[in-house]
Amino acid sequence: MNDRHVVLHGLAIKKHAAPQEVADITGLDIGTVARLLAEEEGRRRVVTAAGKFMLTGPAQVALRAEYSRVYADQRASIAMSEAYGQFEKINAELKQLITDWQTMDVGGKKVRNDHSSTDHDQQLIDRLGTLHERAEPALKRMAKELPRLSIYPRKLIAALEKAEDGAIEWVSDAKIASYHTVWFEMHEDLLRILGRERDE
Amino acid sequence: MTNPSHRWITQLDGSNLPDKALIGGKAWSIARMMSLGLPVPPAFVVTTEACRAFLRDGAFPQGLPEEMATAIARLEQRTGRTFGHGVKPLLISVRSGAPVSMPGMMDTILNLGITRDTEAALVVECGDGRFARDVHRRFYDLYAHIVLKANIDVFPPDGDAASWNRQIADATGAGLPETVYAQLMAAVRAVFESWNSRRAKRYREHHGIAHHLGTAVTIQAMVFGNRDDSSGTGVVFSRNPLTGDPEPFGEYLARAQGEDVVSGKFTPNVLSTMKLRVPNAYQGLMAACVILERENGDVQDIEFTVQNGELYLLQSRAAKRAPAAAVRIAVDMVREGMIDEVTALDRVTPEQVRLLLAPRLAEGQAAQAQILASGEGACPGVGAGVVVTSSDEAEIRAKAGEAVVLARPTTSPEDVHGMLAAKAVITETGGSTSHAAVVSRALGLPCIVGCGVSMLAGLAGRTVTVDGALGHIFAGQLEVVRPDETADPRLTDIAQWAARRSPLKVYRPSEAPSELVIDLNAVEGGEDPKRLPTLIRGYHGARGGAITSDEGVRAAVAEKLRFVVGEPVLPLLIAAVRAKASLNVSSAATDEGAQ
Repeated sequence: MNDRHVVLHGLAIKKHAAPQEVADITGLDIGTVARLLAEEEGRRRVVTAAGKFMLTGPAQVALRAEYSRVYADQRASIAMSEAYGQFEKINAELKQLITDWQTMDVGGKKVRNDHSSTDHDQQLIDRLGTLHERAEPALKRMAKELPRLSIYPRKLIAALEKAEDGAIEWVSDAKIASYHTVWFEMHEDLLRILGRERDE
Repeated sequence: MTNPSHRWITQLDGSNLPDKALIGGKAWSIARMMSLGLPVPPAFVVTTEACRAFLRDGAFPQGLPEEMATAIARLEQRTGRTFGHGVKPLLISVRSGAPVSMPGMMDTILNLGITRDTEAALVVECGDGRFARDVHRRFYDLYAHIVLKANIDVFPPDGDAASWNRQIADATGAGLPETVYAQLMAAVRAVFESWNSRRAKRYREHHGIAHHLGTAVTIQAMVFGNRDDSSGTGVVFSRNPLTGDPEPFGEYLARAQGEDVVSGKFTPNVLSTMKLRVPNAYQGLMAACVILERENGDVQDIEFTVQNGELYLLQSRAAKRAPAAAVRIAVDMVREGMIDEVTALDRVTPEQVRLLLAPRLAEGQAAQAQILASGEGACPGVGAGVVVTSSDEAEIRAKAGEAVVLARPTTSPEDVHGMLAAKAVITETGGSTSHAAVVSRALGLPCIVGCGVSMLAGLAGRTVTVDGALGHIFAGQLEVVRPDETADPRLTDIAQWAARRSPLKVYRPSEAPSELVIDLNAVEGGEDPKRLPTLIRGYHGARGGAITSDEGVRAAVAEKLRFVVGEPVLPLLIAAVRAKASLNVSSAATDEGAQ
């Protein structure tokens, strides 16, 4: 698989991103990403606005058409598909956990978590740490089938540790590379790699 | 208490209150409840000293197994039950308890002491075979995951001990330890080892907690709320945590175990049913509410079980509460002389006041308006605008100054930019854990999910008002009002207390001075709280941009501004008081470091 594909794929997951963000998610160096994005802009596959890039419609279609060939090995791999099955199970728990993080049970009623209870928040972050440890084997197995994926566990751990250290926005804030943001991007990446559909 | 035969274990019986550093936080609160004369199931603690010896030598200290046998014998005596055998079996819980709570420590093991024989005894005692089997299954489940760290999805409820043990053997190479004592010692070892888990270690490093403290292990007799009709389980709050009403509020479920209430398997009854069924236990519980609230100076959330008419308190802690309750309880407790004003200000967060004063539909609006669609309210709040069905379009039209509501079949990470631009989000499918719900809550964006397929087609292009609390999408732009913070006597009380302690003034936009004020809406980077310190330096006051966020107020206090401008006023005042307190703490720490 070539760098050009990876750059476009990374941009597809980030959707609207500066070269640095694409470099962060793909593990390519920033020089390569910037050069390839500039070239693709010349070929009208990406457009830029205020320093951020986006795929054009035709480029999105072209990218999707490449997946079955680029990821043929991963799609054929039993190890990959087993690990992904494990991931899916934990994904369901993660979604519940994030919901529990955002809501809080008060006297038998679900109310919005206003983060006034440090105990409640710490318990949830502890649960997130336990879930992460349970997800690690599956993440490792998938990274064995596609080394680029090892970026995600690193980013997940970085977010988790910031949350553990008290910066609670790193659990689910959609504007930063919070645990939930990275998890979701990873899920999107995996769906594209394996040619599957999201299941709400 | 230095009894040489009890070097590693301390009995908890209310006769004394051992040092928290020795027995850990959980055991300490048990001992404290006992010393207040409250009924708590008998317990003992393997001390942090034993943990330190274990961590040093990599093995249990000499004499611990013998002390464990003595301590269990004592527990048998105190409960009139027997561990691992007999017609009245003793089951115990094993939990970690460090002097300071931290992540990564071992979760609680329940039902230890259940075996094939004691399961049979429990069937006779409770007359409920399904329950006894479930106690056994839960034990396998917890033990396998927590102590053995086995990778097993489920222990099927229709299996039995032999089949579950085979599952464990298949996954780990060996079954459970044979005897209940061996199981207990392995659980204690797992607690000790969890002290050095990645998460616990990191937490200690970050918070400057010494690595040598060690954790204690609390071992407590289990009580059962499903013994007979005069048994049950429940939870009580010393005041209503939703409204703040100063009356105990709770739930009671007769003939049930704690998990039944937590799991929502049954709908519990209100506490008055408890008063009818087990009046003595009820009286005891009401008395405990008063004592624990007074002793802890805050609303308590108390878990309890009634076993054969006898009340047992399992846990008491400060209750989580809704914003309205937080305000009412803080003010009431000051009026009752239970806490001072500083403590009250510490109990109400700026965010809670913001939520309380968040814009809502004007009275009568919802009743008159036409409902175009409904779904599950995933994030409360009101937002109105034109319905657009693509995230790109939402972003473009919002940038052009239009208010938009994003409507999608479902959302994915590709829609986040559109959600960021929208006033509200609605989806056709998905529930409370869907991407749209999760991200909207993270953004504080009104959101309704699961409005039904083909909802989009009917709404595109229309102006609607979304009420995320009600779960309705109304036709047209409805009137939205902000509750008046000066109309609520409790809020005005808190505002006075905060104003007296705030290092800066807070003005409403209409009342603000105009000299030396920076308008952050007119400055590049003004919406980024991280850039505020340099932007506001040298001014008397600031308005707009990120100044009304907690971080913005903190920057204003740190830069010694005289005032900020914003509305509602109270969240900003509380944020200013909190910023002053935390800046004092960190400057004291810096001074100390400099000396």
